[in-house]
Amino acid sequence: MRPSISQRVRSVIEIQSLTKRFGDTVVVDDISLTVDEGTISVFVGTSGAGKSTLLRMINRLIEPTSGRVLIDGQDTMAIPEDDLRHRIGYVIQGYGLFPHRTVSENIATVPRLLGWDKKRIAARVEELLDLFQLDSGEFARKYPHELSGGQQQRVGVARALAAKPALLLMDEPFGALDPVIRHKAQDDLLAIQRRLGTTIMLVTHDMDEAFHLGDKIAVMDQARLLQYATPAELLTRPAEEFVEKLVGTAERPFRLLALGKVREAVEPGAATGKPVSASATLREALSQLLWMGREKLPVVDADGTPLGRISIGGILAHGRQPA
Amino acid sequence: MNAISPHTSAPRTASAGAAVSLDRLGSVVAVLIGVALFVAPFVTYRANRIVAGEARMVLDALPMTLAIGVMAAALGVALVSVTIRQPIIRLVAAALGLAVIFVAVGRAPAFLTPPGNTFARISPAFGFWLLTLAFALLVADSITRLRLGPFARLGAFAVAAAALALLLVSGAWDGLSLLKEYATRADSFWREARQHVFLALGSLAAAALVGLPLGMVCYRVPRVKAAILQILNIIQTIPSIALFGLLMVPLSILSAKVPLAASLGIHGIGAAPAFVALFLYSLLPVVANTVVGLEQVPASVIDAARGMGLSTRQRLWQVELPLAFPIILTGIRIVLVQNLGLATVAALIGGGGFGTFVFQGIGQTAIDLVLLGAIPTVALSFMAAVILDAAIDLAKGPVRD
Ligand SMILES: Nc1ncnc2c1ncn2[C@@H]1O[C@H](COP(=O)(O)OP(=O)(O)O)[C@@H](O)[C@H]1O
Ligand SMILES: [Mg+2]
Repeated sequence: MRPSISQRVRSVIEIQSLTKRFGDTVVVDDISLTVDEGTISVFVGTSGAGKSTLLRMINRLIEPTSGRVLIDGQDTMAIPEDDLRHRIGYVIQGYGLFPHRTVSENIATVPRLLGWDKKRIAARVEELLDLFQLDSGEFARKYPHELSGGQQQRVGVARALAAKPALLLMDEPFGALDPVIRHKAQDDLLAIQRRLGTTIMLVTHDMDEAFHLGDKIAVMDQARLLQYATPAELLTRPAEEFVEKLVGTAERPFRLLALGKVREAVEPGAATGKPVSASATLREALSQLLWMGREKLPVVDADGTPLGRISIGGILAHGRQPA
Repeated sequence: MNAISPHTSAPRTASAGAAVSLDRLGSVVAVLIGVALFVAPFVTYRANRIVAGEARMVLDALPMTLAIGVMAAALGVALVSVTIRQPIIRLVAAALGLAVIFVAVGRAPAFLTPPGNTFARISPAFGFWLLTLAFALLVADSITRLRLGPFARLGAFAVAAAALALLLVSGAWDGLSLLKEYATRADSFWREARQHVFLALGSLAAAALVGLPLGMVCYRVPRVKAAILQILNIIQTIPSIALFGLLMVPLSILSAKVPLAASLGIHGIGAAPAFVALFLYSLLPVVANTVVGLEQVPASVIDAARGMGLSTRQRLWQVELPLAFPIILTGIRIVLVQNLGLATVAALIGGGGFGTFVFQGIGQTAIDLVLLGAIPTVALSFMAAVILDAAIDLAKGPVRD
């Protein structure tokens, strides 16, 4: 998993001592971190922690009091505000679709600002509608109020991706969706992100969402960055009591299991029963074992080749606090 | 009828509920028609234009066959209005009723005036107006219930206007008192008409030119907004006559001190103070609706627009103004209808317009002259309302609902 030196990823976003004060209140307090190219960083914390402010300083919707943001090494202050925003996708909770414009016009917003020619815009809109599973014959000419919440959300993300930004900022992009659609939307985003390789910074107050999506999670509280680490590290080595509490003490082993794959816990040997896929999470495997009342189940890979077996004991070892 | 809006398939319960109130309206219309036919006079006969008149009922006002025709038509509409619910049938019946009485009333003068008498005046009387009101109620209700789209409404209005124009141009009404009054002052009628429209539309245009930018500034700068809206609110509460009075002083001074102003026709009395007063009254609706229209643009839409890199100007022209436009247009509609009415008062200070006839008529107790000023004013206001309502519907476009 770890990249070798020769293929080390280029850091795309460097946040250096970023601070925002409104009057006497410090809203973002001296935060520094680096977001690697092609990864999803999730900013999580209670309401008012300063997450949105931090995000909005990246595309300069809010001017920092001090500190700086580098994108591919270039200081964002050196780029004209509007140019900067054309290069960064932005998705917010209510999506802010333009109600007087059709779905395709909405998606075409930034390409049009950039002066793309009509044919190129049309092709790009088509491509995005397709990517987001919106039939262009049906949806291209619809207006936002004719769409369901889930469809609006997809149009919002498609619009943000229209000009192929290297960075996508998302502020509670699933906040307005009901839980069932939300999970599907998260999966779709993950799939699209893996396909396009877009770097994403996403704000949420939902811990499950953070663990589901984040390559790295930044925990914020009262303007400060408490910890910025991989989900597994957050679970196994929480930096502060607050992080531990936020992660949910009772949830911890299950979250950890949800991060691991069956492949990592395969044992040699055989077992009977309905086989478990090697790409399933350990949490899913445990759930299946408990539900079927089994000690062990066989493991197969994607094309059904047996790989061995998985046992409750083996899984539990993975959900244990590291020594 | 193809422009019927998508709401035609209203739930059953709703249409059942409406049917009850429909019957109520139907009975009111029927009663009005009954009173108009059997109690109220159809036309008034006067020996000359200012003496008191004698009332003539339908049967005495028209040749026998025509009188019976009018009675039959009106009773027919009454019957339809109480028994039939389909709006389209009621609409057709009421429109036919209007056509019959409008044509019939034009025949009364020839029937009632003694041969060779050129002083006698025949004018529609209470019964005629009551019938008109009853039929118009039915028309308006049917059109509302048909839920016609903006183009269909404009079409219906154009047909009605063309029919009226035909009646006027064909000479069918030339014998009526009102048109005799018009005939003797056709020149001044059109001059005052132009002046009236100039006062109303010109002051609206000026108010839009000033009010739209002012509204945008108010939207951006909350402190300016509070001050401006307060001032405009106060202006709005000044009665028109008082405002004319207030304006006379500075405009007289301006006229006296600045020769250019005087040569442009700016004086303490006349069109200038009237124009300025109408302009001032127009500002509040224009500014207030601009502000409200811009302020109701959802915050998330503005945030998204900024986040995507629309400049302040692009945001204003591509997002904020288009979304505020229907509400701004509503302000313009209010102003236009208000100005067309208020412009009448301009005549009091020599500003011209249809008010000239109204006030002259009041002075001479010549009711025909009053109507010569009042009826076109009402017609213009009505036309402005119909056209702008349709425009507002069209502007709402996709965001409708
Ligand atoms: N324009 C502003 N002026 C003053 N205080 C602000 C402003 N914007 C945000 N804040 C304050 O900053 C804090 C952090 O806000 P925000 O970044 O929106 O938090 P989060 O997104 O984590 O919920 C909140 O307490 C909020 O009240
Ligand atoms: Mg927030």
